[in-house]
Amino acid sequence: MSQAPETPAPGRDSRLRGNDGEGGAVALTPWQIRAAKLRLGLRGLREGWAVFLESRIGVLGLVVIVIFALMAISHPILMATIWDDATYNPVTGYAFDEIEQPAPPSWRHPLGTDPLGRDILSQLLSSTSSEFILGLVAATVTVSIATTVGAVAAYYRGLVDTFFMRLADLIVALPGISLLIVLSALFELNLFILGVIIGVLGGFGGTAIVLKSQALSVSVKPYIEAARVAGGGRFHIIVVHIIPNLLPLSFLYMMFTVTGAIFSEAVLSFLGLLNIRMSWGIMIHTSNTAGYLTGGTTYWWLIVPAGASITLLCSTFYLVGRALDEVANPRLRRQ
Amino acid sequence: MTEPVLQVIDLSMHYTTRQGEVKAVDRVSFELAKGEVIGLVGESGCGKTSVAISLMGLLPDNARVVGGQVLLGGDDLLAMDEEQIREYRWQRISMVFQAAMNALDPVYRVGDQIVEAIETHDPNISNADARDTVDRLFGLVGLDARMAARYPHEFSGGMRQRAVIAMALACQPDVMVADEPTTALDVIVQDRILRQLKAIQRDLSMSMVYITHDIAVVAEVSDRIGVMYAGRLVELGDTSQVFNNPIHPYTASLLSVFPSIHGEKHELVTLGGDLPNLIDPPQGCRFHPRCPHATDVCRRDEPPVVDRDGHWAACWNPLQQWRATSDQ
Amino acid sequence: MANYLARRTGQIILTLFLIVSVAFFLVQAQPGDYTAVFAQNPDLPPEVRAQVQAAFGLDKSLGEQYLVHIKNSFTGQFGVSFQHYPRTVMEVITERLPRTAMLFLTATVISFYVGFALGKLMAWKRGGLFEYSATVSGAVLFTMFTPWFALMMIWIFSFQLGWFPLGKFLDPLLWRDAPVAANKVFNDMLMTAAAFSVFVLLAVLASRKAGGRRSRQWLLPALVIGLVMVPVAWAMSGIGYLALDILKHMVLPIFTLTLISFAGTMLLTRNSMLEVLREDFVMAARAKGLPEKVVRDKHAARNALLPVVTSLVYSLAFAIDGSVIIEGIFSWPGMGMTLLQAVRSEDLPLVMGAFVFIGIFALVAHLIADLLYAYLDPRIRYQ
Repeated sequence: MSQAPETPAPGRDSRLRGNDGEGGAVALTPWQIRAAKLRLGLRGLREGWAVFLESRIGVLGLVVIVIFALMAISHPILMATIWDDATYNPVTGYAFDEIEQPAPPSWRHPLGTDPLGRDILSQLLSSTSSEFILGLVAATVTVSIATTVGAVAAYYRGLVDTFFMRLADLIVALPGISLLIVLSALFELNLFILGVIIGVLGGFGGTAIVLKSQALSVSVKPYIEAARVAGGGRFHIIVVHIIPNLLPLSFLYMMFTVTGAIFSEAVLSFLGLLNIRMSWGIMIHTSNTAGYLTGGTTYWWLIVPAGASITLLCSTFYLVGRALDEVANPRLRRQ
Repeated sequence: MTEPVLQVIDLSMHYTTRQGEVKAVDRVSFELAKGEVIGLVGESGCGKTSVAISLMGLLPDNARVVGGQVLLGGDDLLAMDEEQIREYRWQRISMVFQAAMNALDPVYRVGDQIVEAIETHDPNISNADARDTVDRLFGLVGLDARMAARYPHEFSGGMRQRAVIAMALACQPDVMVADEPTTALDVIVQDRILRQLKAIQRDLSMSMVYITHDIAVVAEVSDRIGVMYAGRLVELGDTSQVFNNPIHPYTASLLSVFPSIHGEKHELVTLGGDLPNLIDPPQGCRFHPRCPHATDVCRRDEPPVVDRDGHWAACWNPLQQWRATSDQ
Repeated sequence: MANYLARRTGQIILTLFLIVSVAFFLVQAQPGDYTAVFAQNPDLPPEVRAQVQAAFGLDKSLGEQYLVHIKNSFTGQFGVSFQHYPRTVMEVITERLPRTAMLFLTATVISFYVGFALGKLMAWKRGGLFEYSATVSGAVLFTMFTPWFALMMIWIFSFQLGWFPLGKFLDPLLWRDAPVAANKVFNDMLMTAAAFSVFVLLAVLASRKAGGRRSRQWLLPALVIGLVMVPVAWAMSGIGYLALDILKHMVLPIFTLTLISFAGTMLLTRNSMLEVLREDFVMAARAKGLPEKVVRDKHAARNALLPVVTSLVYSLAFAIDGSVIIEGIFSWPGMGMTLLQAVRSEDLPLVMGAFVFIGIFALVAHLIADLLYAYLDPRIRYQ
């Protein structure tokens, strides 16, 4: 994975040339070249996967992510089958079968109910998909911007480079959550807007710096020069030759962005600054404003499921990112 | 020959990699007398550097010595624990590194790094005395003593190399291992440093293992030459004997592309074919896939040692008389 | 060196200018009229509103308003706080900034030191149980949902063990008859801490100047003298019990902040150290026969420190966010809590003032990290 399926300049890579037995090369059809490239790419992926599997932490993280994904899927299924909307709706439901709210875990409400009589498990499961959506939006925006900025800055250098890198320095130096708190005072933030803002901050910030330095090392490779000499346009070179080589690293940084996005959302929701109907952060916010959190372990089900989910999902994406880092960065690998 | 300072007996060293065990050094033996220089020569990847780090006991995590002895004045370095071998390093055996550019710590003054080595091995020496020693060493390798107070990034490539040599001399070791010490330098500087190193070695009558891929350099500094191929020592003899009458066909092909240090510089010796895969080395003689004289027996059995008055090689079909143009 | 510093300082001033501009445009871009908030606030007399409007130039064109804003920001005139009327934004901030600085600096220094020491060991003992457990617990602490973690700390240490107060800056009962204001005591404490640090630093520099093998020979005596002198001086001042009260309120937030921020440094140090361990000079240090501890600390870790200091910017921003959250939960009346309260009560002048000052805070921290880097790397120091 460290070496992206590099696109060698025509004729430079002997692996991509046919051999007629006498050492002379014969030209291949474009399809054969594409197939060969694909084979090389797959081989790179397989090697990367092998390295990834060696890191037990990364594999464990992947398993946890899959479990959370299953949780996200299970909510609509449960709502459609065994949970009736009046009781189990995560926002508007009320557990009429409980005398006191919040009710401790019971057979009908495995994680109990919140101070407003809503089922905690239902809230927890329904929030999972929003966290994934938030993470996906933030990560996609970050990576699209950062890849473009990185490739463009590395290709054009000079003023363009200076501008984007100074901008990135500025964003990196700013405390992100404080900035989001200020923004929440000025604007109504919902999940999607929050995802986009986090994505934009990440994309022009730290991720852009990392991807630019990677793009720089790609753009001095001989095949870029060859493509330039062969008359490839700037747009063509950036899109076809530079960006594909940034994708593995971009993917890695998606993981870290997801961590940041979920974490920020939870903090802002906890502080009651977001315009969101339900999320893990809101669950804790609700219990906190109702004054149940300082009661210690008595009302544990009000905070532990949500708090643990936030922590677990954040650290999981972070650990998977680190494991991928060892794949992408051979200098961290064991020899 | 006098009593050997360094004896390497059947040294074997393996690396554990994802693909399997790499048998980087396989039963290498040689002796080094006091004041003698032995040159180890071979292509990149033949195990020269692996021999060097085994001698120093500086193995990376994935490498281990699987057999043999390294006797330094009769004491086996390989049998020692880390604390014992620490006493021997630099005092008895020191090293000039392959990438001398990076062998100096960038955040400390060069003089301090040498003082550090001296003070470690002589706890009673005063700081002023240690600094005097550094000044003397700098003079010896042709550096201005004032440079000792400078940082590595203020040194040019050649100056750094000299500083690294001065550092290796700091504790007056019996044996110095020099691993491609001049490779990264341009030819003029390379030649000058080489002569100086040779002169210092002669004056101090220090023993030296000189490792290089450049057979021209070996001719200049060594008393004896050892030729390595695919982890094995395939030929060993006095420099003149090896140059005039090589026994092993591999040595002959190395010599046939003999470049002069004063002339054009060849980075690598090029032969047809590649170095064999050391995870699964060829049966019999390891050189047989590339050897012009290979016969069936070469492909089957390990070659016997052919000894001509202390000049020996491991080969089934030793060359009788070498003519400079006959091969290739 | 001078060149490098001048360039960095210039960049930071420019950055500050950008932050101030961003603040202005954010306020402009928000839906609704800036003055609408004034109209809704019954506490504000009409003449103050007119005064504020004049001060911000709200009746002028956008361009002029921008210029007024820039001038105001650089002269510290953010207007009056709605929430704390009649105090100005600057008065509120000058009272609260030192409290955040104390919390933040102490926690950052401790967490950097601890994180670096642990990260170093992780790389050195690679692949062992220690590395696995440190990676996992580090990542968990690093990504732990901070409010939850802080609440747990309060629950354990304040409710269950009763070691520390529940939060807040001081105990009002104790301070009812206090001869001096809390801020005076706190500022004196800040001064003491600064004097102590300078004293220890001088001892380190002096012993380094003396040279020789033990380059830290005077560190321990200096620490001992300082640690004896400080309590004695405070005990004699007569207000020592008040300082002790503030100190007691400070311990838990600092401890919590330290726990959430050391992991970042630790994981970063591990990676940096792993890369340095592959360098030739580490092998050379080992070849010289240096004891393993010297190879690890003096050579490998000293070089691994450089990228960690460069990345300090990230961790500082992270720690500032952390202290905002921690202040909110511990009701520690610093900049973070001020910001949160101002946001909740729509006290826009205070929000913007706090924003600009948190920005300045981050940039100063950034500059200090740059200075430290320049000091640590001779390749920059001697240029």
